[in-house]
Amino acid sequence: MKSSMLICFFALFHFLGYSQLKGVVYGSGQHEKKTSIPGARIKSLHSGLGTVTKSDGTFELTLGKSLPDTLIVSAPGYHNDTIFAQKGDRFALLEVLLFPDNLLPEAVATAKRETHSISKLKTLHVENIGEGELRKAACCNLSESFETNASVDVNMTDAISGAKKIQMMGLDGVYTQIQFENIPYLRGLESSFGMNAIPGTWIESIQITKGTGNVVNGYESMAGLVNLELKKPEEMEKFYFNAYGNIFGRAEVNVNGAFKLNEKWRSGYFAHAAGMFGEIDNNRDKFRDLPLSKNLSALNRWSYRGKNFESQFGVNAYYEEKTGGQTGYSHRSSNGLYGVFIENKHIDAFAKTGFLFAKKPYQSIGVVYNLKYQQTNALFGLRQFTGEEKRGYVNAIYDGIIGNTNHGIKAGGSLVYADIRQDLDSLLLDRVEIVPGIFAEYTYTSTRLTTVFGARGDFHNLYGFQFSPRFHSRLALTENLDLRITAGRGFRVSNVIIDNISLLATSRDWIIASDIRPEISWNMGGSLVQDFKLKTRKATFSIDFYRTFFENQLVVDRDLSLTSIHFGNLTGKSVSNTLQAEVSLPVLVNLDVRFAYKYLDVQAPLGGQMQQQVMIPKHRGFMNLAYKTRNKRWEFDFTISVYGKSRLHHVHIPDSDVEYTTMSSVYPLMNAQITHIYKRWDFYIGGENLANYRQKNALIDPENPFGPYFDATRVWAPIQGTNIYAGIRYKLKQDKK
Amino acid sequence: MKNILLFVFAAVTLSFVQPKTEQAILKTSAECGECKDRIESKLNYTAGIVFAELDYKTQLLTVKFKPAKITLAEIKTLVSELGYDADDVKANPEKQKELPACCLPGGMKP
Repeated sequence: MKSSMLICFFALFHFLGYSQLKGVVYGSGQHEKKTSIPGARIKSLHSGLGTVTKSDGTFELTLGKSLPDTLIVSAPGYHNDTIFAQKGDRFALLEVLLFPDNLLPEAVATAKRETHSISKLKTLHVENIGEGELRKAACCNLSESFETNASVDVNMTDAISGAKKIQMMGLDGVYTQIQFENIPYLRGLESSFGMNAIPGTWIESIQITKGTGNVVNGYESMAGLVNLELKKPEEMEKFYFNAYGNIFGRAEVNVNGAFKLNEKWRSGYFAHAAGMFGEIDNNRDKFRDLPLSKNLSALNRWSYRGKNFESQFGVNAYYEEKTGGQTGYSHRSSNGLYGVFIENKHIDAFAKTGFLFAKKPYQSIGVVYNLKYQQTNALFGLRQFTGEEKRGYVNAIYDGIIGNTNHGIKAGGSLVYADIRQDLDSLLLDRVEIVPGIFAEYTYTSTRLTTVFGARGDFHNLYGFQFSPRFHSRLALTENLDLRITAGRGFRVSNVIIDNISLLATSRDWIIASDIRPEISWNMGGSLVQDFKLKTRKATFSIDFYRTFFENQLVVDRDLSLTSIHFGNLTGKSVSNTLQAEVSLPVLVNLDVRFAYKYLDVQAPLGGQMQQQVMIPKHRGFMNLAYKTRNKRWEFDFTISVYGKSRLHHVHIPDSDVEYTTMSSVYPLMNAQITHIYKRWDFYIGGENLANYRQKNALIDPENPFGPYFDATRVWAPIQGTNIYAGIRYKLKQDKK
Repeated sequence: MKNILLFVFAAVTLSFVQPKTEQAILKTSAECGECKDRIESKLNYTAGIVFAELDYKTQLLTVKFKPAKITLAEIKTLVSELGYDADDVKANPEKQKELPACCLPGGMKP
């Protein structure tokens, strides 16, 4: 039974068929009132296909197989408009606004390419971080790509190993599914250190979805979904070079490039080498503020476009070594010093394949494959962790319609195979997961309303059948106001040790319950996005609220005891309520301002009572200013985040005159960058933590790291002070045909 | 003394007559995003041009320049040499042929 299912999945299906776009064409009239335009023409540039809008201004257009495509919308008496339709816009809803050709040119809104936009076309609330946004900070690797974004927080989970995790809605990063072009990524053993494995220069864009994602993407998106689009051979630069250095002794070199073999084959290569070579101990506690490290990463991807067959595949390899802890520590000869040594390596291969059927334009099937091998070894003082993971993944999706294009259907199946070994000193946690799953999703589309009902069933070999229903809806209340609602269930099997590896940086014992069950959560929420005009420029206001509650959770309790950390199933309630409000204003022609406020109420039974999770502030504020000169030669960016007070877990305090507080302080984090663009070169210089805010006494009892009081996990603010960095980029674009 | 005063007066008045920067809007034959990149990358690095912005949807190019360093006629010639019309100055036909398909007149029309 299982093998025949496997055979079905491994057969080659077609991946990209024809896509259907629907939409409305409006004309901007007096006082910017929108009226629908019948008889407007929409033509696709690549395929030559076209259509005309109906009497109510609506249209349906079948796109050709080569996406992205350019669509030209025209109507007599109006300026033409061009729209880029991408693969992700299949079955999307477009709103096109044309301007009368008798308007003075200065009055015609110049479409600025927005660097941070909330996509109106999608049913889910998706934030897009594009290339323009990624350039605002040095973005050395994925963990630094969220510095100018308010929805995703990135935190250092301990003061020694340099591990960074993201947080969405106040919930740990393991509850956010990270994907690489719709392939689940950075799972299992990579959940803590994986963010360093993806250099920022490889990323083309990032899509952030709050709440549970589509059933098509898997069952693990509980708080949200982060999808990474890496640069693709068709569009990326022919040659790209980047070099970076900072005052702490970190240096980095990146080289990317693409070449075309012939009309059908294209390839992209990516290489990255980085290291942290400086011994920094500015707070003089004899511990390195940042670990020394070396890492190497390479990726090669290929894309094949035939007449009836398309394919993408690639391979990626990564090696990283980190040495942290007391200054002078080396894992080869520790000299009795306390240190942390982490070694990470992985190799993975991915492929997406498909056939095209010319006779069935509204249907498509696609298959995605991924294989990974990962090894992670971490030594924290005397505690040794070794981990090994072998993972395989296949996902096949059928995409079609029922009757007409108002009713879309997606269905398919997936198979996850994971062999994860986690060994911590004498504790051996090994498991093999085989999870076949099936899913189906129905989408109803009309001009103002899009609703998606999805469900998936996964047959977990260890934990039985898991059902995950999902619901998403988008209602255009007015032409400029969108309401979105989402609800769903997600689950994941926790990896006790690697998910919490930073908690080894303490002398506390780990007490792990023997019957850990999968984590299951329900998430519901909604958002309102209002577009409005500031003079002639587009501004956005959005507010969203999400509530997540856990049926079961791996509760990490640091409050129950002063000498140990307890890991166990949830007994009681665990709830997270988050509210985020954001305003984006183009204050001047070239000055964009963005403000955001976030409220996080994340409570779980900790230390015997329901209280806010440690180190999650209730309030957070954020502001970003971006200024570009009109001749595009200079870019100035400034970001400030203000973190409110948060609760700190109690520590076993040694007898000393050092005061250890129970609440963290309010503090600001300021970053700024200046970029100068000269033809194909960019020169950038910037600073991080410009306020030089440093957490005092981040380490508990650093004089006795092997003693009973030592704790390096109480980190809520930067330990290193102001960082100044500089770098250069060189880009050579591909020749356009 | 009077001559010196007259001279200073004339110089000051003349400096008002000749503005330091001028802004002009030219109608080009640019059609698409590629055209915008080509025209802007060339003009923004030309001595005397403060900035150049092309709106390819309206085909209008806004240029702010220092007349003392570059004249409007020279700017029109530069645009023509890239393969695009600039108001009355037509595109250089040889250079226009080298442009990608979407940049040619009618390249973006249905």
